[in-house]
Amino acid sequence: MSTDQRDGEPPGDAPGPTVARMILGIQLHRMREAAGISPDQAGYEIRASRSKISRMENGQVRFKERDVTDLLTLYGVTDAMTRDGLVALAKQANTPGWWARYGDILADWFELYLGLEMAASVIRTFELQFVHGLFQTEDYARAVTVLGHTAAPKDEIERRVNIRLKRQDLLTGAKPPQVWSVIDEGALRRPVGGPAVMRAQLEHLIAVSGLRQVTIQVAPFARGGHAAAGGSFTILRFGDPDVPDVVYLEQLTSAFYLDKREDVDHYVEVMNHLSTEALTPAQSTRFLGDIIRDM
Amino acid sequence: MTQDFSATPGEPGQEGPASTAGTGIDTTVPHSARIWNYWLGGKDNYAVDRDAGDQYKAIFPGIAVVARTSRGFLTRAVRYLAGEAGMRQFLDIGTGLPTADNTHEVAQRVAPESKIVYVDNDPLVLAHARALLTSAPAGATDYLDADIRNPAAILDTAAGLLDFKQPVALMLMGIMGHFTDEEAYPIVRSLQAGLPSGGYFALYDGANTNEAFNQAQEGYNASGAVPYYLRSPAQFERFFEGLELVEPGVVPVPHWRPDPDAEQVEIYSYCGVGRKP
Repeated sequence: MSTDQRDGEPPGDAPGPTVARMILGIQLHRMREAAGISPDQAGYEIRASRSKISRMENGQVRFKERDVTDLLTLYGVTDAMTRDGLVALAKQANTPGWWARYGDILADWFELYLGLEMAASVIRTFELQFVHGLFQTEDYARAVTVLGHTAAPKDEIERRVNIRLKRQDLLTGAKPPQVWSVIDEGALRRPVGGPAVMRAQLEHLIAVSGLRQVTIQVAPFARGGHAAAGGSFTILRFGDPDVPDVVYLEQLTSAFYLDKREDVDHYVEVMNHLSTEALTPAQSTRFLGDIIRDM
Repeated sequence: MTQDFSATPGEPGQEGPASTAGTGIDTTVPHSARIWNYWLGGKDNYAVDRDAGDQYKAIFPGIAVVARTSRGFLTRAVRYLAGEAGMRQFLDIGTGLPTADNTHEVAQRVAPESKIVYVDNDPLVLAHARALLTSAPAGATDYLDADIRNPAAILDTAAGLLDFKQPVALMLMGIMGHFTDEEAYPIVRSLQAGLPSGGYFALYDGANTNEAFNQAQEGYNASGAVPYYLRSPAQFERFFEGLELVEPGVVPVPHWRPDPDAEQVEIYSYCGVGRKP
């Protein structure tokens, strides 16, 4: 795992572009409501439509600095500190992430995930089939990538593996998120890439589970069926109290991002059931050792 | 370094309202740790908790400030215990859901080698504690699945995790309100009796000195949630009998060694820190 800081990474505590957009959108929404201004009026002010305003407030689009300052003026926000802070956030929101150079092979829906993952303070995952990308060894990642891109040329496979490994810099960075993963026993027994690759992967899981910010819990077959009938999912939490949790559901050719409170609550509830029913972290480490011995 | 232990409660059949049935999480009844999380501005709460929390707030709007300042007491008390009092071992019973400035974070900022044993009997709280309340490398955190109604079991198991020949700080932060006087004083006496001499005891809970607070609490207790009883200042004093009270004694939470920039609010929870002679 490399720990070098390459270009394109936002410094220190600054949120990544995706979350900067979300925070800015939430603030603009609140200020517009406080000023009693309709989306139509706001859209007119910046020569755009009401749907552009709604996309801005949902953090779905890039922000032009001039649009932000015009809106702030319309909303009667005159305090220089507040204005400067939001303009700085708009600049942040437009800074490309490290993955920009992989744009040719990355789907937009996955780039969004990378932005969220990098900005999250807590990442909770339930994995039914594979070990989570943040915990994969290079060989395991290559085996999973080949499974998903059977027709891809070798150099593309290697670039995809590189992206996955680069993501893992997060775990050893200056301010790593807490990654709390519940893994179904099936994902640990399935020898992706063959027994040797899988054994190394399991050993790597034991190693990362020793990191302070990583928690691994195994959901063993012996505990019967579990609450997540739907399959693997990820919940991302952000340090900013105004930014809601986001549930990420990956499909073969797209992904769902849920941030409505009732949806998120449901997934958090399922995740809480999984975490209380799974083995404790200490038991899970022993269990991983047992699986290796069984191989 | 983390470990995990379980103290078996004496009589499982007699589990009272503070236990969650089985290993399940009941999301149909408001849950005190989750409501508290809501009042503190956290995200670990469900609609049922937010509704109960809002109903409470409608009667006693000050509850969010009570929650925040009570948490502030925990921070100041642990800072005092790890600092001036030199404590390196903490037994924190009634952990609650993680928030900012958890006990081990405050203690380990002062003394990185501090060891904290978190005790709770709520499966949701324990799962969060094991995952998120993890120690810095120089210190240690352990998690104990135990019911405070069996203090002997807690002391037995804790004695294997902490060095009871050295001082231990016992913390009961916002938990004793869940018990009547008949239950609460014997529990606290037993736990204090198990502390080595030179150890400390810190507690806060809600007080019955405000009519709106009393009313909100009565409504809450009638809702099917685990009840919580507000106490008088004299009842708080009794928790500290036989201990040497640290200045300024048993006082409203904001008056206990306030930070210089502390907000000035009228608050109706009481706290204290005592040293076992």
